[in-house]
Amino acid sequence: MSWAWFHKLGSPKWFFSWSKSWALPLFCVGCVCLFVGLVWGLAFAPADYQQGNSFRIIYIHVPVAMLAQSCYLALGVAGFVFLVWQMKMAPVFIKSMAPVGAVMALIALVSGAIWGKPTWGTWWVWDARLTSVLVLFLLYMGIIALQNSLDDLVLVNKAAAVISVLGLINLPIIKYSVVLLETLHQGPTFTLTKKPEMPPEMWLPLLFSVIGLYCFVAGLVLWRMQTEILKREHRSNWVKQEVMEHGL
Amino acid sequence: MTYSSFIRSEFLVLWRRKQDIFNALLFFIIVVALFPIGINSSAEFLAPAAAGIVWCAVMLAILMAVEGMFKEDYWDGSLEQWIVSGLSLPLLILLKVIVQWLVVVAPLLVMMPLFSEMLYLPSLSFWVLIMTLLLGSPSLFFIGAVGAALTMSIKQGAVLVMLLILPFYLPVIIFSTLAVKAAEAGLPYSGLLAMLLAMSLLSLVISPLMTAIAVKASVN
Amino acid sequence: MQSTASLTISNLWIERGERDLCQGLSFSVQSGEIVRILGDNGAGKSSLLKTIAGVFSPLEGKISYVGEDVTFDRSLLQKDAIYLGHSVGVKSLLTVVENLRWYCPDVSLGVLHEVLELLEITNHVDVLVKNLSAGQARRVALARLWLSNKTLWLLDEPFASLDVRGVTLLEQRIQQHVLSGGLVVLTTHHDLLTLSSRDVVLLP
Repeated sequence: MSWAWFHKLGSPKWFFSWSKSWALPLFCVGCVCLFVGLVWGLAFAPADYQQGNSFRIIYIHVPVAMLAQSCYLALGVAGFVFLVWQMKMAPVFIKSMAPVGAVMALIALVSGAIWGKPTWGTWWVWDARLTSVLVLFLLYMGIIALQNSLDDLVLVNKAAAVISVLGLINLPIIKYSVVLLETLHQGPTFTLTKKPEMPPEMWLPLLFSVIGLYCFVAGLVLWRMQTEILKREHRSNWVKQEVMEHGL
Repeated sequence: MTYSSFIRSEFLVLWRRKQDIFNALLFFIIVVALFPIGINSSAEFLAPAAAGIVWCAVMLAILMAVEGMFKEDYWDGSLEQWIVSGLSLPLLILLKVIVQWLVVVAPLLVMMPLFSEMLYLPSLSFWVLIMTLLLGSPSLFFIGAVGAALTMSIKQGAVLVMLLILPFYLPVIIFSTLAVKAAEAGLPYSGLLAMLLAMSLLSLVISPLMTAIAVKASVN
Repeated sequence: MQSTASLTISNLWIERGERDLCQGLSFSVQSGEIVRILGDNGAGKSSLLKTIAGVFSPLEGKISYVGEDVTFDRSLLQKDAIYLGHSVGVKSLLTVVENLRWYCPDVSLGVLHEVLELLEITNHVDVLVKNLSAGQARRVALARLWLSNKTLWLLDEPFASLDVRGVTLLEQRIQQHVLSGGLVVLTTHHDLLTLSSRDVVLLP
């Protein structure tokens, strides 16, 4: 396997021109899939025999919750890559990804609460999954707060990478510990109803919206990275040329 | 600079700054006192909650003590001297954290019998609480050191360190309080103590390296 | 102290934040030489010294010391060097003696007092450094130059906040060090009174 692509990731110029051809298609594919998934799921999929129509929020909640976790995984990997190989694109990625991940975690929390009210009868339960998403959200906010409080770019890059890697190491431990907390406590009064085996009409739209959201976020982050690259490399000649030719 | 002269000067500086350590301990006392005053002072409430209260207060007090541990070294140029001393930077940081741990945790442990009485902690679980403090607190210091190193160049960084580091402390407090509860219920708790030890050892390996990266990036 | 040492900088690039400093800088220092780094404010004089000392790494280029490449592992150089920066690394909560003991634990008390006497801070031996003036604190840091036995001295503005007497003392010490085979790289805004140096000019 050739590692050339990996080394190219170190060059902002290469990455910029590469991402230019990928951001828009990814974003459009994401939008279309998301639209299909959501319309199908919200309007046409059959209602759940236990939860009725309230289960339909699954088509928002599940993709968002998956994204919230995947984004953090990506942050941690990027942080590791930066600390080991000093790859220039990694901190740009972290900077662009962290707010997106935070928004995903927040939506997951809010949609979960909205879903919880009709099914469990309460907005919030100290359930292991809920707690770990809350912690995840706090970790994201920590990274963002750190990036905003530091001035020096070199320090911002290193600091964000260090805290992302640390979070990645700690996240499984946090998850394990909150699961333990729950099993040793008396069981929660409200439990998630056992999900029936889903018929294809129900999980196909879910699949669509999951894939759609992944592509949507990928496109969004590529765009944010392009902006960040232009900001950081504003002195270099290729950026001047780029702006002269294509405008902002 | 040698490792032993480094340790000696660290102890001396901490001795001259004993007021800061006192402040952290006083802070601990106030946080503990908030619970009986603010919620319920009956033994029925306090006895089962005692370990949790103590651990919450310990976490906050330790974070207060650790948060600024590199600030002075940063502003007076000592950090540069650590880096150019030819000694291993992660090892110097490890030594510094251990010195901090000894100086802060020893008085906390001495105060513990008093607080277990004040919170009606069942005498059965007192030694388990001490064990969790001994095994769990090193990881609090090691993780806190990373936060302190990341924020040392900011003049007012205490709140940021809290926001950054407290989520990382959650497993420690969960394992500790569960261990005490298990002991009260007569269940085996050695597995939970082992988890605490494992977390401390893991952070002992990772934190000095990460802190060293943060220190080198901060000294600019 | 090594009698024949040499420091060679070749094709060094340093990047600080947004700016490129000393692009492709090369020079070398032999035993018995003083090199003075000149340049405007912000030209990267301090950054150059810090890079040589190993506080941070260069973008490109090679640093060799006694013939060994130390660009990636500076410990060989660091074991044989003293670096004094803008903030001198003197702890304000330690006394003068405690500070010097921290850096030079092997020096006997007799020698320590001799040096402090020479630098005219004997009266303040057991005073916390935070109660000293800026010039006195700097003398405490400079006392390391008399107390330790390192070959390479990297001095960033060593004459700052020193009085005339202090400047003379320091120049004498540098002269003595160079005569016995030491290497000195320094930055200064003062003109050297008694020392002769080779100048390296950093262009912006």
